Amino acid sequence: MTNELSRPNPDQQAGNTEQRSGREASTPPDERYVFTPPIDIHETDDGLILRADLPGVSLETLELQVQNNRLTLFGRVPQVAPEGARLVHQEYHEGDYLRSFILSDNVDHDRISAKLTNGVLEVFLPHTPKSQPRKIQVSGS
Amino acid sequence: MAVFRWGHSWSDAFSDLEREVDSILQSVNQTFQGLRFGRQHPPINLYDLDDHYLITAEIAGVATEDLDLAIANGVLTIRGGRQLDEGADENRYRRQERPHGSWQRSISLPERVSEDGLKADLTNGILQIVLPKAQDEAPRQIPVTGG
Repeated sequence: MTNELSRPNPDQQAGNTEQRSGREASTPPDERYVFTPPIDIHETDDGLILRADLPGVSLETLELQVQNNRLTLFGRVPQVAPEGARLVHQEYHEGDYLRSFILSDNVDHDRISAKLTNGVLEVFLPHTPKSQPRKIQVSGS
Repeated sequence: MAVFRWGHSWSDAFSDLEREVDSILQSVNQTFQGLRFGRQHPPINLYDLDDHYLITAEIAGVATEDLDLAIANGVLTIRGGRQLDEGADENRYRRQERPHGSWQRSISLPERVSEDGLKADLTNGILQIVLPKAQDEAPRQIPVTGG
């Protein structure tokens, strides 16, 4: 059953990619952090809905693309505090978000839609319409 | 006008002096003492700018109407939450990593924060709270009487 639907990219799940996972990222301070955002995926009758938490990402700084069956989201987070602000207490790091997913064949790539609300990206991955059975004429000699 | 205080008794008045410089840091730490497990939600950062403090919090998915900020007795309380999406059958979740539910955080504010100019903004899932510092009072001479 899962084979015919979209699943997160297994490479990415196994942590084989360059990016760091989660909040435990240990990038040196002079480099940008790249986080794997938490996601939910749930099924509907028409397809799948994927939601990702991307606090700090706006429409202008979000890139969402499908290439070769891979859906990739990349969100840049601009620095919130103005220059010269002294960080007194820190519980989270600012950083960008990157995650990719392998789409299954029954996702209709052309009808994928997405919206961004309050820092949450929602991607709708519709099923390809079921094709009608078609009679094939067999000719005999 | 209004100035937050941590202590209300006379005995606190002197220790306040010592704490003054780091007071905002300490007050945040105080808030954390009660929690031993895991990270707090939502995570916050605190910045010191010349004339104000800035608190930022990551609260993706929380709408303005589901967010509540309150100040009482020098404690800033942030309350909010978000639910799983209505109508979505729990059994139809393929993957669920995003936290949901309600949360609350209280932050003891330092002295010398002016309530009047407090501003909050929620954009793209980042909450920003600006806490203006109160203006320094002019030093006041205390007359000493002797016998």
